[in-house]
Order: sequence, then C-alpha cells, then structure tokens
Amino acid sequence: MRQEDRLNIQAWLDGEIAPQKAAQIAAQVETSSTAKVVAEELKAVESALKIGEKPVYLDETRDFYWGQIERQINAEEPMPAAEDYPTPVPEGSSSLLMRWLIPVGSLAAISALMINFGNVNLADPVQPIVEEVIPPASGLTQPVAIMEEENAEAGVGIFSFEGSQGSRNFHDPEDASALPESIENPER
Amino acid sequence: MPKLDIPNAKDDVLVRAAQKGKMEPYEELVHRHRDKIYARAFSMMRNEDEALDLSQEAWVKGWQRLKQFKHNASFTTWMTRICINLCLDYLRKKQRRQTDSLEQMEEETGGVERRMPIEEYNPTETVEREELREEIDVAMAKLSYEHRTVLILHEFERLEYKEIAKAMHCSIGTVMSRLFYARRRLANILISLKKERRS
Repeated sequence: MRQEDRLNIQAWLDGEIAPQKAAQIAAQVETSSTAKVVAEELKAVESALKIGEKPVYLDETRDFYWGQIERQINAEEPMPAAEDYPTPVPEGSSSLLMRWLIPVGSLAAISALMINFGNVNLADPVQPIVEEVIPPASGLTQPVAIMEEENAEAGVGIFSFEGSQGSRNFHDPEDASALPESIENPER
Repeated sequence: MPKLDIPNAKDDVLVRAAQKGKMEPYEELVHRHRDKIYARAFSMMRNEDEALDLSQEAWVKGWQRLKQFKHNASFTTWMTRICINLCLDYLRKKQRRQTDSLEQMEEETGGVERRMPIEEYNPTETVEREELREEIDVAMAKLSYEHRTVLILHEFERLEYKEIAKAMHCSIGTVMSRLFYARRRLANILISLKKERRS
C-alpha cells in the first residue's frame, strides 16, 4: 500500500477529505484488508486519546504565581487605553483602494520618470540626470494584509485565524473573532 | 454602578472589567484558569520550569492583548492559543539551536516507525481509565516535539490540518505525515507499555 493511500485513509477518518473522494476511500477500506488494518489502527489510537490528558496542576501558590505575572506586567509597557488602538481598516473600502492605488501610482510615477528621462537624453545628451525623488502620496501605507503578515513574523509567533468565521488564514493574532470554526465549535 | 463581585462573577464579566484596565478581575481569571494553561504548556514542553515560565508569559501577553479579545470564543480558548503559540515559538528557537538533523529528517519520513510492523493496538483491553491515561501521558512524553505537538493540536485542541500547518510553519502534507507517524509511534509505545505491564 502506498503511503499516499494511508494518509488518505487518515484524512478520511479525520473528516478532512472532500466528499467525492470520501466515498472512494470508504470503498477501499471496505474491500482492501490492508486498508482496513490501517483504518483500524488509526481508529484505535484515536479512541485511546479520547480518554483525555492526565490532569496537571500547578504547585505554586496563588500569590506567588500571580506576583510574578504582575511584576512582569508592570515592568513592561502598560496596556494602552481602548482609544489608543487604531481603528481597524474595513476590508473592501480604503484597504482595497490602497491595493489599487499603490501599483497604479507606482506605474504612473515610473512612466513619468521614463518620459522625462527620454526627453532629457534626446534634448541634451550631456545634461546631468537628476534623480527624481517621488514623494509618497499622503496617507498611502502598505496594504494592511502585508503589514499584518510582517507583524506576525516579527511577533511571538502567535498563530491565529484571519477575519470572520469560516476564513482560516492566520493574521490578527488573538482576535477572538478570528478563531477557527473548530475552536468555536468543539464538535467540529 | 454596583461593585463587581469578583469571586462570583462569570469569566465574561471579569474579562470585560479587565479590558477596562482593572487588574483585580484579571488576577481572578488567572487564578481560575492557571492550571489549564499550565497543563497545556507542560503537555507541550514536558518540563516543569519551562511550562511555568511560558504559562506566566502567556498571562502577561494575555493582559497586553486583552483589548483585542472580541468575546467570540471562550476566554480560556483564547488564552490557550496564546500559550500554544508561545510554546511553539520557544520550541522552534530551541530546535534551531540543536543540530540533530537526523531526527529532523526522520520526522518527515517517519523514521523507525516506517519500518516497524503494525501491531494491533486495542486500547479498551482490560486497562482501567486512569491507567490508560497514565500510559498515554508516558507515551506522549516519549514522542518528539513535532509528533507530540501535532497530536495535541489535532486531538486535544481540535484544530484542522491547515490550522496546524500554519501554527507549525509547515505544509499540510507534512502535518498529515507527522500525524500519521505520531499515531503509529504512540500506538507502538502503548503496546510496549502494555507488554511491560504484563511481564
């Protein structure tokens, strides 16, 4: 049996396979004894793990444990007030506009530079070429998605899930609204 | 405005109060859920000191990011995610410092598990619930961090493949492969433990 088939059986048992392929794998498990053994083995492990984890408790006293956390909190930057948080840019409005404005603006600037450059050379070949500095258009920033990606890289590596329910990309770290369906629905 | 009855208030009420900058409700939340957060850190790290430090760091991060919590999921789920991320980040850094490339290679290929015959494992066979839980704990501790993490995220945190892939910075294919070999290795360890118990 190929490893790919084993992984497909596992994905089927985990509910991670497309419905059209699921029937095919179900038939394979039904007819092939090797596939059946693999499925049984995986089911047995899953069943064992359903018993849950061994409970673990902290030995530290409440005061000692909290005291250390409190000291660290106070030593670091204070929690900013709600109004200090930047207003999130709604997807589809200005962020979308920025995504278009940046490439279009850049293209326009490059075109202007090229035309200018051509004129300069044609008119006077010895005229020094002055490097044109293109000031950033006011209010233009990097697209939000890119910024968040970079922040995520630079941060503590917190994984989370983007945007609304159903979308499972990982951008805004602890945005609870961005938690995956499987978290909100433990039954999955 | 009535005074908040902290010991009897629900988590949600405490979180909202803490989001206004009050530390006492947050302290109560820490007290209520510290075992759960520590347990997750310990299950991933398998080291008491590291788990203690990381669980405390998670609470500090939780406080700093509390305003971002939108109440769509439970507070403990949110805190557990923070803790898992800190553990993963720590483990990644730790792993980077180590140069056990053979082990890393075997994580992807299944290593010795690939060559081991499949032995039938029957978890319900005359094993008491607590005994089995103990054995699972021992077996989990014997797994590599990649195998242990993938199992914890999938089996206990109920994350999907693509969520695990993102968290572990790897492809879905690697998650599937790791999960498969993690399960197989766990089964083999449980079988060995059963044999030990019998002998």
